[in-house]
Amino acid sequence: MTERLWNILTDSFLKILVPGLKMTIPLTVISFALGMVIALLVAMVQVAEVPGLKQLSRFYVWIIRGTPLLVQLYVVFYGLPRLGILIDPFPAAVIVFSVSVGAYDSETMRAAIESVSKGQIEAGYCVGMSYPQIMRRIVLPQAFRTAFPPLSNSLIGLVKDTSLAANITVLEMFMATQRIVARTYEPFALYLEVALIYLIFCTVLTKVQSVCEKKLAKYGKR
Amino acid sequence: MIEFENINKVYGENWVLRNVNLRIEKGDVVAVLGPSGSGKTTMLRCMNFLEKADIGSLTFDGVEYDLHGISKKNVAAIRKKTGFVFQNYNLFLNKTALQNVTEGLTVARKMPKEAAIEKAKAALDRVGLSERYDFYPSQLSGGQQQRVGIARALVTDPEIIYFDEPTSALDPELIGEVLQVMKRLANDGITMIVVTHELSFARDVSDRVVFMENGEILKDVPSKEFFENPGDERIRSFLKSLSA
Repeated sequence: MTERLWNILTDSFLKILVPGLKMTIPLTVISFALGMVIALLVAMVQVAEVPGLKQLSRFYVWIIRGTPLLVQLYVVFYGLPRLGILIDPFPAAVIVFSVSVGAYDSETMRAAIESVSKGQIEAGYCVGMSYPQIMRRIVLPQAFRTAFPPLSNSLIGLVKDTSLAANITVLEMFMATQRIVARTYEPFALYLEVALIYLIFCTVLTKVQSVCEKKLAKYGKR
Repeated sequence: MIEFENINKVYGENWVLRNVNLRIEKGDVVAVLGPSGSGKTTMLRCMNFLEKADIGSLTFDGVEYDLHGISKKNVAAIRKKTGFVFQNYNLFLNKTALQNVTEGLTVARKMPKEAAIEKAKAALDRVGLSERYDFYPSQLSGGQQQRVGIARALVTDPEIIYFDEPTSALDPELIGEVLQVMKRLANDGITMIVVTHELSFARDVSDRVVFMENGEILKDVPSKEFFENPGDERIRSFLKSLSA
């Protein structure tokens, strides 16, 4: 490797990492947290068969899962201004990502909630508990454990999907890299470098996932 | 004390319960026998509103309720005075034995935690599980899980406990320990209705036997009479098939 290339890579490492810490991670964390709130509500509405809201939930999941994330970003950021709705890049990205996470993970949560045996719900009623109490204390903790691996998948996926936000001028890791490439014209090395940083982020998450799974396993298998 | 009148339940074309009447006095131990598919479990589930009867009434503590049209509030109130033990135990898998038993006290009845724990421990001691407070269901044998189930039903001092085939899911060598516990409860004067295939329990422990077939109660007599003088040919062949 030439010295020039080496210098570019070492100089750019921090210039890519810092937007990663300042943008990619907050974007991921905020979007995922909001997405989980949406996912939980949408899943519960369907499990509890709330009339009207149930159909609305299915419609939401249908639309969001059936259209590309990149197109959704464009609609919100470049399209909505036509209707007089202007949203800054970062909040626009948060909206699109959390709505997307909400749609996919609501299906995960729904399946996990339905996997908790009906008998435990009946037992809850028989000891005098109400439906919300049974949900909160018996069903959701078990559903969350079942859902944990697929939810981790979704979080790791989101870390990488945030690179799409470069398209709507959010200055995250990938956009930072693109700028350095434009200046130095070393696409191969620099894109590999940013890929490596994404890989590091995801490796850390994978480790965290396995630690948490061990903790969640405390009450054993069914 | 508790009286069910004219319970009827239909699934599509299938008449699962037909004019079922049952009166239970305080301290009664009633065994419900009958071939599978005769409606025993459905009857028990209708009694605690896990299934909705199509017709029927319940008199509980002197108040009459319509089993079909009863309000959610009344269902909840009656359930707080009853206990239910399931064939498959249905323990809360994310809770320890002790937590399974305290749940109905602290959450449903707002009892202070310390008092609830004390009461739950006493209930677990009563079913012989004083060494297993902090075990999760996955760490317990079937017999132990069912005894937790019984402690969970017992701890709230219910006026009656419904047992739905409590030993049917157990390995043969574990049935004895559960029956033993139930026998002790019966001797202590706990009111119970037990759907079972255990003839020994019906004969030696219960005061009365209710025999069901095709969704109807064919016989409701003291246990002694039931076994000494079964009368009806269907009952005799049923007893024969079980003891063979």
